[in-house]
Amino acid sequence: MAAVKALNPKAEVARAQAALAVNISAARGLQDVLRMLPELFHWLPSQIQHPTASLIAKVATAQDDITGDGTTSNVLIIGELLKQADLYVSEGLHPRIIAEGFEAAKEKALAVLEEVKVTQEMDRETLINVARTSLRTKVHTELADLLTEAVVDAVLAISKPNEPIDLYMVEIMEMKHKTDSDTQLIRGLVMDHGARHPDMKKRVEDAYVLTCNVSLEYEKTEVNSGFFYKSAGEREKLVAAERKFIEDRVQKIIALKKKVCPSDEKGFVVINQKGIDPFSLDALAKEGIVALRRAKRRNMERLTLACGGIAMNSVDDLTPECLGHAGLVYEHTLGEEKYTFIEKCENPRSVTLLVKGPNKHTLTQIKDAVRDGLRAVKNAIEDGSVVSGAGAFEVAVADALVKHKPNVKGRAQLGVQAFADALLVIPKVLAQNSGYDPQETLLKLQTEYKESGQLVGVDLSTGEPMVAGEAGVWDNYSVKKQLLHSCTVIASNILLVDEIMRAGMSSLKG
Amino acid sequence: MSGVCREVITLQLGHYSNFVGTHWWNLQDASLSYDPESPAGEIQSDVVFREGQTLCGHVTYTPRLIAMDLKSLRTLRQEGGLYDAGRDASTLTEGNLTMHKESPPEKNSFLEDLDKLDDTVNSRLTQVQKSYRLEGSVKVWSDFLRIHLHPRTISVIHQYNHDEAHRLEAFGQGESLLQGALLEELEDKLHFFVEECDYLQGFQVVCDLADGFAGLGSKVTELLQDSYGGRGILTWGVAPASHPHSQTPLRDRYHLLNCTLGLVHMAAHSSLFCPLTLRGGLGWRPPSPPEFPHLSYDPSLWYHSSSVLALALDGLTAPYRLRNNSTPMWQVADSLAVSGRKQVVAAYGAVPFPMMHGGSLPDALSACTDALPWKPLSACPEAGDGRCYGQWATLKGLEGQNLISCLSPGLKPPTPLHGLHSGEDVLSSYISSFFPSAPALQLVATPSKLTPPFPQIFSRSLGPQGFLQPAPPVSSVPVLTSLQLGPALDPWLSELHRAAGAFDIRRAAPSFLSQGPELAEYQEALEELRLLARRYRDDSGGVLCSSSEE
Repeated sequence: MAAVKALNPKAEVARAQAALAVNISAARGLQDVLRMLPELFHWLPSQIQHPTASLIAKVATAQDDITGDGTTSNVLIIGELLKQADLYVSEGLHPRIIAEGFEAAKEKALAVLEEVKVTQEMDRETLINVARTSLRTKVHTELADLLTEAVVDAVLAISKPNEPIDLYMVEIMEMKHKTDSDTQLIRGLVMDHGARHPDMKKRVEDAYVLTCNVSLEYEKTEVNSGFFYKSAGEREKLVAAERKFIEDRVQKIIALKKKVCPSDEKGFVVINQKGIDPFSLDALAKEGIVALRRAKRRNMERLTLACGGIAMNSVDDLTPECLGHAGLVYEHTLGEEKYTFIEKCENPRSVTLLVKGPNKHTLTQIKDAVRDGLRAVKNAIEDGSVVSGAGAFEVAVADALVKHKPNVKGRAQLGVQAFADALLVIPKVLAQNSGYDPQETLLKLQTEYKESGQLVGVDLSTGEPMVAGEAGVWDNYSVKKQLLHSCTVIASNILLVDEIMRAGMSSLKG
Repeated sequence: MSGVCREVITLQLGHYSNFVGTHWWNLQDASLSYDPESPAGEIQSDVVFREGQTLCGHVTYTPRLIAMDLKSLRTLRQEGGLYDAGRDASTLTEGNLTMHKESPPEKNSFLEDLDKLDDTVNSRLTQVQKSYRLEGSVKVWSDFLRIHLHPRTISVIHQYNHDEAHRLEAFGQGESLLQGALLEELEDKLHFFVEECDYLQGFQVVCDLADGFAGLGSKVTELLQDSYGGRGILTWGVAPASHPHSQTPLRDRYHLLNCTLGLVHMAAHSSLFCPLTLRGGLGWRPPSPPEFPHLSYDPSLWYHSSSVLALALDGLTAPYRLRNNSTPMWQVADSLAVSGRKQVVAAYGAVPFPMMHGGSLPDALSACTDALPWKPLSACPEAGDGRCYGQWATLKGLEGQNLISCLSPGLKPPTPLHGLHSGEDVLSSYISSFFPSAPALQLVATPSKLTPPFPQIFSRSLGPQGFLQPAPPVSSVPVLTSLQLGPALDPWLSELHRAAGAFDIRRAAPSFLSQGPELAEYQEALEELRLLARRYRDDSGGVLCSSSEE
């Protein structure tokens, strides 16, 4: 540090108390922003300049990466932990002792978490409760209820017993159209392009789906053959030969179509990852085949999972077994954008959530919410257990910590007290954001909890206590666990900073 | 199949690339004709433009373009104005609304006029013969963009900005950008433009060479090569003659390293790679920028220097944009790649081509028998000994001028050039007098039409058609360009290799490698550059040395 100081005399240094003050104000500033506008979080991390605030934001982002939820809670609790600690530090308590108290409190809190978690079979109803709890904090109520079922059904469709859930198999597709309440779950796939031939059908029912990665276009011939021809006639011949090569491939596909649907009562759809040129499209259209070219790579795997069948890399060994099946394939045009819906698949292992909204902002918001909802459902299935939400868990932990305090030695007790008080920020903010008096609501909760012994949370519509489990407000176990861990670690680290220095290149110049 | 439209998709990566690109698109737009009666031009605009339709059913004509830049759009909206249906009220917010509006950035005189004309046809602007003096007010490229872009065109990189603190200045930073959401966005955009093409011939990539975009560009070209193998990928690495920010030795080193790594990687992933810059050299302390006899431009002004490059690029890209007898991109690349390898080439250009108004091509060419009229556009001085393995020359814009001399029969032509009977022969025999091997040629009659806001950088001796005649303002210019693959590239690449290898990267630019690439990878790239330089070495009098020697 001293060396830096010698090199850069303009370096700004804040020590001990001052450093702590800087850090706490940063944490609380961030907390204030998010307390009011929780949905801001998704764009926040990249905009933050202050190093401490950006550290907290990064932790919250990490939380988001691991569990998909709890980012705002994270920031709120860290800010509150520092605020509570500040009270004691200003009275002369060393930050190290508070950090010890935090550590002890965390252990106890985790023990409480194990006690209060509810292990039960994750049926659709429980999952809907979990998803609803997560989504209602992110979008308005009607939309949340709509998304809830879509999200749960999506995860249930792709989950298989005893296998980890791969959320990539739920494609989120956006469409700038109509309103947010038109968002829906498609049991199949939606692709954002259509068949490029005027004669191809716009709607096919009961269709075979051939998924392939075979070039059906005529590429780059002039060069490859450039060295070999002597006259224009020879060149024409070569071109024709190359053309024939592509035509043969098209004929093989047509032959397969004729084999599986001899009397044209079923449809036939080709979805190709490579290009299909107008000549080949023409040939396919004549046979009543609908062909899509240049499907996205990431959709190829989903296609076979949704419709069944095998993705073919060559047309040489085409058999009817390679084909998938879809109940309905149709095209939808919006301005210059075309969408192809592949729906009504039997047993789809990959599904699509079609997010609609009138503008980009709404789309992004819904997409973020849907992603979080999916994660919440996935977590619940994988945890096999859930925790009461609506602030009920925090109230219970705070109470247990206060009771636990005498078991902790010395001044670290104060850290435990600070931790207990800090957790209560969650029910307080819930009450505040619903328009109730935070203190009053909190006292009601605590009284009710002491009297009934049940886990009570805030009923956001009345401001009165309610039994969270009965009302169907459930949070993820893993989110709470991660939250307790990361908040404690970060708050302790920030408390223990005793020198902040600013000595970048820019300060040298300025 | 000469009648089909072979589509090209353009990618512009980086701020300076977008300067060049914006000028280039303005040039394209100026030569568009919205009059259905007029005969189809020589240049097929459908190659680079696409027809679309808005949600309201209006037909649009926008570039097949993907432009990536840091946040610097100012007055331009990312989605563009064309597809805006004007119903942006969010349904998510219920209750009272308070609006906080940021005052929009001030528009310059050109953009204000453009707004007024917006409802009418774009080309009306050509009739506005007002010369703008935008030199002072152009800060970013969108300040002089006159065309509408498709909403999928622009992609903004939010991680970095143009300020001091978070600049995208190292190769590794750019390389690591292309993942996650940005990668998905790019794939989606590419897919959108590629899927609708019936006969895609390839991509033209314009990429900044001196900053972190070099890294992004090398990843993007790699992606293109992987996903769309068999298509041409023509990469133009552009670098400004000078940077607006204060120059420090460290920053110079960064630029040098970015150029080196960018050149090696992009050359490996493209069918053809050509640096384009008005710098005197890519190396450590470049000599002053080349001087064009009929231009008076300010090389330090991006708005000026990029316009010169755009003019040259208009000529260089002409062969694969023609309506008839076009030479597809891969053929351009193959005709230069002598032994089938992917190549680095150097560009030269005469901007404008010096020719007297009413004169003839033989006259103009015989006036410069001592030296070729073109100047290096790739910071690569010509070898001077006239050796060249492959060359592609384009002369654009001699419409209405005499391509051959009109001598009365019986008179003895003053030079052999005057005796030839076609423009191609004249140019070919002229170039052959400097180079033993015959070049590939392309003559295009349509000149590059200049409309506001193209800067008036021409000296007073040029007439309105850009031929030598005193009467400004200039409304179109002829351009002669040449792509060359020759032994001149050897000393030039070796110089770059020497400059980059001259200092210890760990000591001189310690943070450069902090975000990848590894030191070993860097050294590997240097080694590749050395081998690349050796390929151009002239051991056997004009024949490319074979790879077996290496």
